[in-house]
Amino acid sequence: MLKPTADRERIIELLEHEGGVTEASVRKVAAQTGVPEADIWGTGKFYTLINTPGTRVRVCDGLTCQMFGADELARQITESGKEVERVSCLGQCDLAVATLSEDMELVTYTKKETNISPASDDLAINLAGEVDLGYSALAKARLMGADAVIEQLKISGLQGRGGAGFPAHFKWTSLINQAETERYVVCNADEAEPGTFKDRETMLRQPHKMLEGLAIAAALIGTREIYIYIRGEYVNEVAALEVAIDEAKGQLEDFNVTIVRGHGAYICGEETALLESLEGKRGMPRLKPPFPTESGFRSKPTLIHNVETIACVPSIVHHGGQWFHDLGRTEAGSKLYCISGHVNQPGVYELPLGVTLDELVEQAGGYVGTPLAFSPGGASSGFLPISQRTLPLDYKSLAAAGSMMGSAGIVVLNDTVDMARAADWQLKFFERESCGQCAPCRIGTQFIRRQNEKYIQLGDPATFEHTEDVAWEMEEGSICGLGMIAAKPLTSAREHFPEHFKTR
Amino acid sequence: MSDSFSIKLNGQTVDAFTGETVFQVAARTEVEIPSLCHDDRLAPAGACRVCLVEVAGQRRLQPGCAWVVTPDMEIITESDRIAKHRKVLYNLYMADHELDDAGLPIETGNGNQLRELCKTVPAMNLEPVIAPRSGRPRDDNPYIQFDPELCILCARCTRYCDEVEAVNAITLSNRGGETTIETAGQRSLIDTTCELCGGCIDTCPTGALIEKKAPVNLVQLGGTEAVRSTCNFCGVGCQLDLHVQNDKLVKVTSPEPGETLNDGNLCVKGRFAYDFVHHPDRITQPLIRGEDGLLHRATWEEAIKATADGLMKVRDKHGPDSLGFVSSSRCTGEENYLMQKLSRAAFGTNNVHQCAAT
Ligand SMILES: Cc1cc2nc3c(=O)[nH]c(=O)nc-3n(C[C@H](O)[C@H](O)[C@H](O)COP(=O)(O)O)c2cc1C
Ligand code: SF4
Ligand code: SF4
Ligand code: SF4
Ligand code: FES
Repeated sequence: MLKPTADRERIIELLEHEGGVTEASVRKVAAQTGVPEADIWGTGKFYTLINTPGTRVRVCDGLTCQMFGADELARQITESGKEVERVSCLGQCDLAVATLSEDMELVTYTKKETNISPASDDLAINLAGEVDLGYSALAKARLMGADAVIEQLKISGLQGRGGAGFPAHFKWTSLINQAETERYVVCNADEAEPGTFKDRETMLRQPHKMLEGLAIAAALIGTREIYIYIRGEYVNEVAALEVAIDEAKGQLEDFNVTIVRGHGAYICGEETALLESLEGKRGMPRLKPPFPTESGFRSKPTLIHNVETIACVPSIVHHGGQWFHDLGRTEAGSKLYCISGHVNQPGVYELPLGVTLDELVEQAGGYVGTPLAFSPGGASSGFLPISQRTLPLDYKSLAAAGSMMGSAGIVVLNDTVDMARAADWQLKFFERESCGQCAPCRIGTQFIRRQNEKYIQLGDPATFEHTEDVAWEMEEGSICGLGMIAAKPLTSAREHFPEHFKTR
Repeated sequence: MSDSFSIKLNGQTVDAFTGETVFQVAARTEVEIPSLCHDDRLAPAGACRVCLVEVAGQRRLQPGCAWVVTPDMEIITESDRIAKHRKVLYNLYMADHELDDAGLPIETGNGNQLRELCKTVPAMNLEPVIAPRSGRPRDDNPYIQFDPELCILCARCTRYCDEVEAVNAITLSNRGGETTIETAGQRSLIDTTCELCGGCIDTCPTGALIEKKAPVNLVQLGGTEAVRSTCNFCGVGCQLDLHVQNDKLVKVTSPEPGETLNDGNLCVKGRFAYDFVHHPDRITQPLIRGEDGLLHRATWEEAIKATADGLMKVRDKHGPDSLGFVSSSRCTGEENYLMQKLSRAAFGTNNVHQCAAT
């Protein structure tokens, strides 16, 4: 039980300041904050950036980096005498292979530059466009008032870009109808879904769109408090945000904008785990209901949006909901698609929502080799066969195909890839990133990964005897979305590529 | 919890109150919903997933321990879907648990609720996962043993330590398959804020936390006879169940939560300080020191008379204020009243005290 005077929200940051979790650092942070030592220990041990003191080179083992030889690179760095830690996707898939140096600096070996769509006035985010420091959409939104802005959001058809695709206007309406007036706006910048790096580019190139969107949300739901939760590996992006917040000091004077860095836990992208983390706890998702709009940060009504979602808001306020709606093809709006893997120019392309893979890859300089498969929306979406190349990449069509739009982190795999291996890389990710709270996910991710690994070693498909039942239970029984889809890389690969899972 | 309404539970109309969970409603009916991570003393965690039920209109199964009912809600606790869920879930638990020769989660001195659940489903014989969970092998506290191989990570122990004891000596630590129960710095419980109340043992459903002093095979030996008694260490009067095997006290537990005033809780003394019961030095009869300097057995009448005579001798020789009276904190209010009456009226001194008054 926490003393009312205890300052739990600071403990993760303080542990980092002390160089990570040790008996001594935990004791010191307990003295500084009044939080019981065991709670500090258990919290620190959850986060990979602080759970083991000391420095080392972090080499990505995400799908795209693995396809481009991350294992071999890790071996070379180890041979050069440095300590190496293999880490989950660093969100630099277009620059694969990605590493973080001992000083947490991004080091890539082949590519340095990200490809983006050329500037155009018909794009909501318009990464290459001019940076607008006027914050005129904020002024306009204040004049319009909450109801009118929400009406435009509704017409715009804006869906959450963080993965679930939930219509944004519902959440705003729910916030405004809460009796409680202490409210929060939280920006989810924890981007850690393998294959995804669109929020990264938004924060680097158009940070003011995101900040202005957050300010509009805060002004309309009636709060000063804006929190941005950004993954700790995004060192350059934190710096870019700090510069932007400073540049917009005047425009943001009515708001307290707080940047909170994550410390190495994919699950903290799940909104309720994110809130736990903001509160200085282990990032274990909460049961829903209650939803954050009712009971979120500090148990108060909280509006949480993904970076891209909130960055669409200023354009919608400027040009109206219909304008945004008409930017899309099969669904509303323009959309940032991340593409990496076996294509010539991996990068972030903003295109009408509902383009096909072929159209996207055309923007990205064409396929490399003979394409075999693609993962349409991050690891969580599993794999689809290349025969689906003409499917609209939108929320409905991908869901109907048994996959999902997710974070639009698309990875193309050509016929040099063994799908059992590809599944293995993704399964390892979920096994490592499971928060461990609920049994279907904690045990299921271990079981599924092991059975697939055994298949790779022995070539005997009998190892898959129970994987469908276990995958079923993971989807039915898990608390949060991670466990629900964590078997997808294997089940989808086996469904679409049976020839890769035969006796061998 | 004022408004009452009705809901449908497995097709039956039953009464419910605002704010109640499915568990609270079901507790008044014949409907039984299995659970592992729930303890009425703790806020629901919804973590073990054993209690999932179908709620009409909800796409996903929902935890009965945490799901709050609303008017006309329809809840189903038995269906093919739930049966399949339980079968695969329990089998997953078995893949992550120490099993006996019959392939069931092992029996422990405190039973194992997981074992009982697993008996209710067909075995899938899933290959075991090798979860690298750390224990505290060097924890030399005298009372509490933690075996990570039997832990299902229900977090009842950590929540109990936090929500009931307000001690926070233990925590969930690490994550994924490495998740385990730790202390800060993996120190022995003795070197933490732990009060050795043993409540974490009491709430543990599997025997992963267990009394070090009790025989490990209590259940296999046919269990124990439980004798209800009152703790004799302080005036709170916690009720105890003394577990007796072959006329020996081998373990002390609290009656079930909700049954007695101590609500399932005990302190370190009540739960663990029972060695005196069979100790050879224990005095079981009054003794009076004779002229020879040695202690001799006596009857209660003789002993009380010897005490009264001695006290009167002191008063006559040195005056009433040379005497002082201290009563035990185990005494009732009436007994304490009699003690001060004895002191003031019979001996004429105000030197009277009660040991819990400081
Ligand atoms: C396992 C998991 C990981 C997630 N990771 C992210 C993430 O990194 N970034 C993000 O914006 N949303 C993520 N989400 C979705 C969030 O829970 C939430 O839906 C989103 O932040 C809401 O914002 P939106 O409506 O703008 O999409 C994740 C969800 C799950 C289940
Ligand atoms: S599904 Fe996995 S990540 Fe989500 S709460 Fe359960 S264990 Fe944690
Ligand atoms: S014995 Fe009591 S104080 Fe110690 S860890 Fe267990 S519940 Fe907490
Ligand atoms: S030790 Fe027991 S009570 Fe604690 S988490 Fe493990 S199984 Fe649950
Ligand atoms: S008793 Fe409900 S999830 Fe454990």
